[in-house]
Amino acid sequence: MAYEVSIFLENKIGHFERITHVLKEAQINIRSMAINDTANGWGILNLIVNEPQKAFEKLSAKGISVALRPVIALEMRDEAGGLDDLLMQVAQAGVNFNNAVGRIIQETQTAILILNIEDYQESIDKLSKQGVKILDDQTVYGKS
Amino acid sequence: MTKHFWQEEFETLGKKDLQKLQVERLNATITNASRSSFYSKLFGKKNIQPGAITDIAQIAELPFTTKQDLRNHFPYGFLTLPKKDIIRLHSSSGTTGNPTVIFHNRHDLNSWANLMARSLFCAGVRDTDVFQNICGYGLFTGGLGFQYGIETLGALSIPAGAGNSLRQIKLMRDYGTTAAHAIPSYLGRLYEVFEAEGLDPKKDTQLKTLVIGAEPHTDGQRKRIEEMFGVKAYNSFGLSEMNGPGVAFECTYQNGLHIWEDAYVVEIVNPDTLQAVPDGEYGELVMTTLDRQAMPLIRYRTRDITRILPGQCECGRTHRRIDRITGRTDDMFIIKGCNVFPMQIEGVLMKIPEVGSDYMITLETMNGVDEMVVEVEVRNDWFQGDIRRLDKLSKTITHQIRDEVLAKPIVKLVEAGSIPKSEGKAIRVTDNRKNGLN
Repeated sequence: MAYEVSIFLENKIGHFERITHVLKEAQINIRSMAINDTANGWGILNLIVNEPQKAFEKLSAKGISVALRPVIALEMRDEAGGLDDLLMQVAQAGVNFNNAVGRIIQETQTAILILNIEDYQESIDKLSKQGVKILDDQTVYGKS
Repeated sequence: MTKHFWQEEFETLGKKDLQKLQVERLNATITNASRSSFYSKLFGKKNIQPGAITDIAQIAELPFTTKQDLRNHFPYGFLTLPKKDIIRLHSSSGTTGNPTVIFHNRHDLNSWANLMARSLFCAGVRDTDVFQNICGYGLFTGGLGFQYGIETLGALSIPAGAGNSLRQIKLMRDYGTTAAHAIPSYLGRLYEVFEAEGLDPKKDTQLKTLVIGAEPHTDGQRKRIEEMFGVKAYNSFGLSEMNGPGVAFECTYQNGLHIWEDAYVVEIVNPDTLQAVPDGEYGELVMTTLDRQAMPLIRYRTRDITRILPGQCECGRTHRRIDRITGRTDDMFIIKGCNVFPMQIEGVLMKIPEVGSDYMITLETMNGVDEMVVEVEVRNDWFQGDIRRLDKLSKTITHQIRDEVLAKPIVKLVEAGSIPKSEGKAIRVTDNRKNGLN
């Protein structure tokens, strides 16, 4: 099971840097990031990192509100229409997701789509049945 | 003959006669108050005899009454009459702790309505006016207090209630409103809505008088309101413990608020020594009711800071004038016309396990409206990374604070550890308001 690192973040100068600095100190590599902003001056920062458990521990130790949440990583073709085709399959599988992050994997000429979902095992079953390729954790986290 | 006063026989009483009336009424008030369980015990302990006052200065020998006394003896400890004689109560907000509640019998409500009518008359309002009361009705005294006063005066009342600016403007235009009452910060907002509608209150309404109060404001802010609306704006002062509005009011000379000394004994004391300060010096306003039967209050510490303005007013009224309120001797603040104590916010937050109990309140003017921003820390051990859960928490806190203090806050969730911990007297409230009028 792969995890994303979710962090409570106020929309204030210097707050994002506080997070990235902790990760830099711990030599943790950020593979992808997304910020879910609200209109209320705060948001959630979602990170995929090479060592999520370590990131969680280091950030927690600094008193930062952080949580690990399971994600599913799907293989996607790195070409025009790749995301559209994949999303069609996800929809046909009847899987709903809260947020998504995409990135390419250079060495294999493919891309991955990372979904935050609620019913983890059920969604994996549905997606597998639909013929979607689910990537292993190491592919999600990348080479350290 | 043009009438210059609502009750000339009271409003222009010479100093000696006014003080004689005060002595009579104070003695009667002490006798009456002794029927309540609170004052009978207090006076018994201090050996205070009814009828003992011969000079109004002797009031300084009587003990003070505080808001805490009112709370401690909630709800009926101050009642002098059986409940069947009481016909209305007004109460402060609050779901935690005891609210401040004031009871009135029919005499009290008539007396209040008369003082309110006298106040409006003194600000130039007449029975020919159309008066729109832009103010919340209900437990808040500004609604019904003004309503009965307008009716007693004989003007046409529009009990518009608070908010809904478009409807307020429509009422003003449909019925030719000439006078209105609102909190000053709301008038800034209302003016913006006029502008947004392409209307100019100076040309598109018949407004000539505005009564503003229930919220601290400066003379500069009053002048700004007068310019925006093309009116004269008069300062109104009252507090629910002394009925509500109609305690002190500006006359058309606009140089301080006449405080009705036939109905109240007014003292200004140094809040530390509790000794009287000379006229002209600032101190805490202490008031005694002289014409209230159901729930008289003696030497009530209002916590409002003001001063007596020395000298006579040109209008001919002999009742002394107080200056506008410059502050408080406690940490209460007023937002959207609601009195708020930081302890009330703290009480709400302590019952919500998802957040820490440290908080910060910032009063800000946003888009012409005064807002109460409450910053609360999210607890690390509760955080699960779910934005919807946080949104829901934010809404819960908003509703619970609103239920407690009646004013809707803007709740901001902040990172754990970002609010200074409460050690001793941490400053929890920062006031950056401009009242939308600067």
